[in-house]
Amino acid sequence: MITILLFGPVAERVGKSRLDVEFEDGMCLQDLRAQLEPLYPEAFALVSLAAVNGTHARDMSLALADGCEVVFMSKFSGG
Amino acid sequence: MGEMKDAVRIQLEDFSQDEEVRALQATSKRMGGIATFLGCARDFSEGREVSEISFDAYERMALPEMQKLRAEAIERFALLDARLVHRLGVIRAGEAIVFIATGAEHRAPALDACRWMIDELKKRVPIWKKETTPQGESWVTPHP
Repeated sequence: MITILLFGPVAERVGKSRLDVEFEDGMCLQDLRAQLEPLYPEAFALVSLAAVNGTHARDMSLALADGCEVVFMSKFSGG
Repeated sequence: MGEMKDAVRIQLEDFSQDEEVRALQATSKRMGGIATFLGCARDFSEGREVSEISFDAYERMALPEMQKLRAEAIERFALLDARLVHRLGVIRAGEAIVFIATGAEHRAPALDACRWMIDELKKRVPIWKKETTPQGESWVTPHP
C-alpha cells in the first residue's frame, strides 16, 4: 500500500487529506500521478511538487516501494 | 531562566522575540550584528479584508527543511548562529507568524542571511496559508 498525504489547497480540492493506493511492482512516481490525476483533475492542476518519505522528489521516474509515503504539493505559501 | 528552546521550531503558540534574541546572543560573545525578521498576519490582502489566517504544514518535511535552511545559512554567510520559528494553526490579523534571527560578527552577513532565509523558507518549506475573509476562505497563491 502507498499512502498519499495531501495538504492545503490540494487537500481541499480532493476533499480528503489522505488516500491509499495499492502498490504494484515497478511503480514509479509518475505512474502514481497518472493513476490519481484523472480522478482529481482540479487538485492536480495545482500540483507542482512531490515528496517521497519526507524528501523532495524531483525525478518523476523515481521508483516507489511498498509502504512509502508520497505527497503531491502545490506551491508553498508559508512565512 | 527557562529551559533553552530548540533553534528551529514549528509551534501553535506565539513566541517571544526577546527570548529568541537572548538565546541567539547567549551562543557567542563575538556577535557584533544581529538581524531579525518578523512576519505578521495582515488584515488586508488582494483587495479584501482578512480577519484571520490559518496554516497547514507537512511537518515531517517542514521541520527538517527549516533545520537545513538554518545550517545552510550559517555555512553560507559565516554566521555565529541563527534561529527560525514558524507558527501553525489559526493566527489573527496583527499576530506574529514567523521569526528569524541571525547573528554574525558584523552587520552585513547578519542582514543578508536574514533576507535569504525568509526568501528560501517561502520556496522550500511545505507550509500553506489560508485567508479568512468576509467572502469566505481561500488558500493563498504564492507571490514571486
